Amino acid sequence: MATTLQPASRDGERPPPAPDEPGLEVDAERAESRRGLLIGLPSLVYLIVFFAVPLAIVFVYSFGARSRTGRTVLGEWTLDSYARLANPLVLEITARSLGYALLTTLICLVVGYPFAYYLATRSARVRGALLVLVMIPFWSNLLVRTYAWRVLLGSDGPFVRALEAMGLPTVQLLFTPFAIVLGLVYGFLPFMILPLYAAIERLDFSLVEAARDLYADGWQAFRKVTWPLSRPGVVAGSILVFIPSFGAYVTPEILGGSRTTMLGSYVVSQFLSARDQPFGAALSMAILAVMLITAIVYFRSGGRNL
Amino acid sequence: MGEVSLGDTAGTAHPTVAPAGTPAVSIDGVTKRFPGPKGGEAVTAVDRLSLDIVDGEFFSLLGPSGCGKTTTLRMIGGFEYPTSGSIRIFGDEVGLLPPNRRPVNTVFQSYALFPHMTVERNIAFGLQMQDVADDEVRRRVAEVIELVQLGGRETRKPRQLSGGQQQRVALARALVNHPKVLLLDEPLGALDLKLRQAMQLELKQLQERVGITFIYVTHDQEEALTMSDRIAVMDEGVMLQVGAPEEIYDRPRTRFVADFIGDTNLMTATVVDGRSVEISDGTVLRVANDRDVGTDVTVAVRPEKLGLRRPDGERDTSLDAVQGRVDRVTFLGNAIAYEVTALAGDPPVRLRVRQGNAPGVEHFAAGEEVRVRWVPPSATVLED
Repeated sequence: MATTLQPASRDGERPPPAPDEPGLEVDAERAESRRGLLIGLPSLVYLIVFFAVPLAIVFVYSFGARSRTGRTVLGEWTLDSYARLANPLVLEITARSLGYALLTTLICLVVGYPFAYYLATRSARVRGALLVLVMIPFWSNLLVRTYAWRVLLGSDGPFVRALEAMGLPTVQLLFTPFAIVLGLVYGFLPFMILPLYAAIERLDFSLVEAARDLYADGWQAFRKVTWPLSRPGVVAGSILVFIPSFGAYVTPEILGGSRTTMLGSYVVSQFLSARDQPFGAALSMAILAVMLITAIVYFRSGGRNL
Repeated sequence: MGEVSLGDTAGTAHPTVAPAGTPAVSIDGVTKRFPGPKGGEAVTAVDRLSLDIVDGEFFSLLGPSGCGKTTTLRMIGGFEYPTSGSIRIFGDEVGLLPPNRRPVNTVFQSYALFPHMTVERNIAFGLQMQDVADDEVRRRVAEVIELVQLGGRETRKPRQLSGGQQQRVALARALVNHPKVLLLDEPLGALDLKLRQAMQLELKQLQERVGITFIYVTHDQEEALTMSDRIAVMDEGVMLQVGAPEEIYDRPRTRFVADFIGDTNLMTATVVDGRSVEISDGTVLRVANDRDVGTDVTVAVRPEKLGLRRPDGERDTSLDAVQGRVDRVTFLGNAIAYEVTALAGDPPVRLRVRQGNAPGVEHFAAGEEVRVRWVPPSATVLED
């Protein structure tokens, strides 16, 4: 027995080089990453030209100064624009945007969750049909659809007419916070429903049965099992609704009035009518920061549960 | 495992006292129909099932997939409601009660452990839902963790446990509630063979110690035979036979039961009188039956009940015997399997014989003439 256990190299010959020599492995990895770069190049170029460069321009402009004629002067770097973010008007508009965005997110969640749950528990055929219904609005432009709401909510629109016909006092619907939040919910509800659907669809419903078996009533089973396990979808959906609502431009512009200005419109007005590009740029950077923080919160909390 | 017992039922949600001798579960004429696929006919999953399960027994529902055993279990658990018939647990009608209002708990096939909760919180779940006081919950969770030997893993999440440990958590989570009946849906199906065999023994011992009625669903006949006090064999929604494992194995009533449980030889025969039948080679076998003279019947006999002898040896008249020739010999290690065809008869009787590989047992080769013989009560006449 002992002799057969002796290493083969004892007979004087060198063993052949192992196929897994480290040098070869590193070379293969390098070649692999070169190929990866080549495949990623077009989108990388696209992102640099159309995203990184404009963002850098806005970033640089936010430190510029405004000449008396409204021209942006670069070179005389200043933090003035950022200091003006504390202006009461800016704070009021920010608070309003935040409020509308949070309310929109909450309504989307309350409306979207039961629908997503219903969707996820249907047969494959019904599910497909309902998913198409959720996505149909995307086939036409948001601007066009928002104008449709303007007609619907206007003083000649069916809602106001119906109130009149019933002899009730008519109310102003258009150009109110109600109209804006309605428009935002309408526009962004699918962004809430889809991630919720994905999360609930993945849920193992025998867990709900287990909870019921362990003396939980329907509501307790939902609260203790379904809800916590669908949380990644709740977080993803909320962020996908909150971010575009916070920076919304089209909806408040068309459905809102002068007293419901949101940040998006305010930024645009700084660039176009007020001709104050540095301040507009500083505002944009501030909005970007808020969205970035929200996204980080999402990845932190979502990542742990997925 | 220590002197742990679940006999103390203080604090359970179901203090009903049933008169002695009341079945733990009584199923009476239960039918379950599911709506068929679009436009199709309704599917009958369980067909007029009547069954009494005795308090404290280990009862198995055995059958192939789709035979209605899981549907039956789910109706007892409250996850399906019977289309008609009644289900009583210790005398109380539960047919239409939701699961949380039944004094039973379930160990699910895939365990269904809550992935977002620790072992401890999984086990405590049922007690907390019943509003049991915190220190009582702690005491009972600790007790059951000791019972299933999960000490030291209280704060792990289910995905950090092995399959066997998850299985124990699932058991503990059900047992901590001191259910009157524990329902188990193929709980060992996901485990590998060695672990499954170890868990079979452990489950049986656990059941004896806690004294709770177990209703166990399985498609594995060996598992059912090993663990059960009684077995009900089901096929296509119908219960074919119920009885002790020995009874089911030795006295199968139908072809399906004989075939599904273990290996069996089936012989076509004609009834001679109430105590004997004749097979195709003219041999008369001593098999009790209640059929009319002249009817064709099927006789079943297990391969391991058969013995082989040289054809020229002295005949033992207390045994039934068939003269045949060995077609094939297969060495199995612990046994030797022979395939033997009768010398006469059309079609000839074919028998599989299984002899233990013990010292002194004579071996035969293919082509040799043999006498296959058995003790008459080994054979039984099937109903179909």
